[in-house]
Amino acid sequence: MMTVADLHSGQTAIIKNIDFSHPSSCRVVEYGFTPGQELQVINKSIFNDPLSVSLRGALIAIRKQDARCIEVFLPNEH
Amino acid sequence: MNIETERKKLVTLVGPPNSGKTTLFNALSGKKHKTVNYPGATIEYSISSFLDQFSLDARLMDSPGIISLIPVSPDEKVTIDNLYNHPDFGKPDVVVVTVDSSQFSRHLLLARQIIDSGFKTIVVLTMNDLLKEKNFEIDGRHLSVMLGCDVIKCDPRSGDGIDSLIGLIKTNLEINKEQIHRKNRHSEDDILCIYREIEELEKKVLRDLNENHHEDPHIAKANKELVIAGRGSGIKMPDSLTLKIDSVLLHKFWGIFIFMVIMSLMFTSIFWVASPVMDLVDTAIHSFESFVNNGLGDNWYSDLIAKGIIGGLGVVLVFLPQIVILFFVLGLLEDSGYLARGAMIIDKPLSMLGLNGRSFVPMLSGFACAIPAIMAARTIQNKRERYLTIFIIPLMSCSARLPVYGLLLAFLFPGKYFLSGIILSLIYITGVLISLIVAGIINRYKKTLLNFEDNSSFIMELPVYRVPKISNVFKNTYSNAVQYIQKAGPTIIIFSLILWLLTNFPGKPTVDTSNLPKDDPSVSRLIESERINNSYAAEIGKIMEPVMRPLGLDWRVGVSLIATFAAREVFVSSLALIFKVTESDDNMSQSLINEMKNAKIKDTGQNLFTTATAAGLIVFFMLALQCISTIAITKKETGGWRIPVLQIIIYTGAAYIMTFITVNGLRFLGIN
Repeated sequence: MMTVADLHSGQTAIIKNIDFSHPSSCRVVEYGFTPGQELQVINKSIFNDPLSVSLRGALIAIRKQDARCIEVFLPNEH
Repeated sequence: MNIETERKKLVTLVGPPNSGKTTLFNALSGKKHKTVNYPGATIEYSISSFLDQFSLDARLMDSPGIISLIPVSPDEKVTIDNLYNHPDFGKPDVVVVTVDSSQFSRHLLLARQIIDSGFKTIVVLTMNDLLKEKNFEIDGRHLSVMLGCDVIKCDPRSGDGIDSLIGLIKTNLEINKEQIHRKNRHSEDDILCIYREIEELEKKVLRDLNENHHEDPHIAKANKELVIAGRGSGIKMPDSLTLKIDSVLLHKFWGIFIFMVIMSLMFTSIFWVASPVMDLVDTAIHSFESFVNNGLGDNWYSDLIAKGIIGGLGVVLVFLPQIVILFFVLGLLEDSGYLARGAMIIDKPLSMLGLNGRSFVPMLSGFACAIPAIMAARTIQNKRERYLTIFIIPLMSCSARLPVYGLLLAFLFPGKYFLSGIILSLIYITGVLISLIVAGIINRYKKTLLNFEDNSSFIMELPVYRVPKISNVFKNTYSNAVQYIQKAGPTIIIFSLILWLLTNFPGKPTVDTSNLPKDDPSVSRLIESERINNSYAAEIGKIMEPVMRPLGLDWRVGVSLIATFAAREVFVSSLALIFKVTESDDNMSQSLINEMKNAKIKDTGQNLFTTATAAGLIVFFMLALQCISTIAITKKETGGWRIPVLQIIIYTGAAYIMTFITVNGLRFLGIN
């Protein structure tokens, strides 16, 4: 299972599912991380964490820990 | 008479962070702008009337930024509960929701939840220029029909559309209120469902400005859906300039470097820009003091007003320049969009210690004054991280300690300014290092010490970079400065009055002045210092003597340390009073240093101030929690005595032990 936390800088992916057992899942969904949405990891901070992610025309900074509840697939795997 | 008709109407502003909500509030609100806390919570909101020119008789309330009506933290719960029904102002008659059009689908979530709850809603679309740059436009009329509420495009930064918004608010206020019912669409599935609805809606109201307007509308619509669904289409890409700037400012290695440069610039400006202004305030207060003293004559009440009240006021005002500069620079960084990036860059290192990227700004503010710093910790949503941040803020060397360090360093290294400067920087850096170690230790024992454990997270929108709007920054700086005076002022003045009483009473000078000529200025000087030597403060100091002795100090320093509870810088003036230094200000510190060199401990005849004891005092000031305002604000912000009492025990205890080790260690090494 691949999550946003596993993506490299510049990599694009599509959200497959949100893990609702994760404590941050509700916040993550509220920020617009919903299945079917495309996202791109833009920058990684020093120590590779947090990530800045492009989603729905916005840039969102998110800790790897929180990004683990966003399951994704790469577009060419479709 | 019906109470409901008598009540002033309430218009509440709601919106996600960075949606232009506060800018809109500033554009609409009148001069009487007040920042208040929600009852029983530390969350701030602003309440105001409308600007006179709008001739709109209603209250305007700004609420803290939220992204949805589902509370995640206890603070958000208070915000949302108060939106539904405010204990003082009741239910809002009209809710104005700000939606950043370039963030349309994300920001509409909150608007939809508000509309679903039955509020009389006006949706304000902001940042339309940003959307236009991407060659898109929102069809406001269509959106209004689909949402079933008024929609208006408005740019609060330039003022475009404000008049039409006022018109809409007026019409909406006249219509009777619908029944507000709290919707319980609270599960993740419900949000997903709302998002699906919004995505459908977005397809219908978003117009591509590039498309041919003469085209068949159905074909155009079909094309548009293709564009939106397609990958990398304009609307789904963040602002291109922002991406370019971020590639430098959020660069893995350059990012942290630039961050350090920006922070050190800000830090130095707090000191170098503020210091001449602080001197000016100080001089003004002193001349006001002597003006009052001369005007009222030589009696106890003139002394009370001059030294007790005006002196206390001076202590409050002297830090104002630093606080204003701090909030001004922070405001610039926030308005430009950089502050969120700073939090992101520093999040990882801080999270290892149990802190959060959001802890950074409060910690930085701690170098100016712990009071606004502790207030700034409110932006940290997670309670544990917020308490931990508040816990370590007193370890940041606040500016009130600067005069004390200045005096002690001038005593230790007379004339060696460069060396003193290096030692001073070391003091600051050591303070930060100690605070990080303390955070790490406390976080280990968080269950016992902070009493709870919970999920920590960091998700934050990174706003588009913009040129800061100076008038906005000024307005926020002003309200923060007023808040500082309101919060810290009363405590400092009351404490300075208590200190005045303690140092002036019982006030029976027993000095024999019969052999001195009556008009000799040394008479009043002697009476003054005799008074303090026989005062209650001296009594307390003498009780403290056994505690001070192991540190190589005596009751005179003890009294001055008690005096520092008003503000740490009072240490210097208190020593001057005890050591009978009454020279004018320019020479005061030099003659105080001379007096300090000659001071001896009474029964042993040892020098009171030696290299060892002065170094020990520096260590004491670095660690001890000795500021009554800090204790008061910590109690208020953490809602109890637990944290402040722990701080007093841990910090003051550690200060005592470390001072003991420093003094006796140096003596053991032969440095006396």
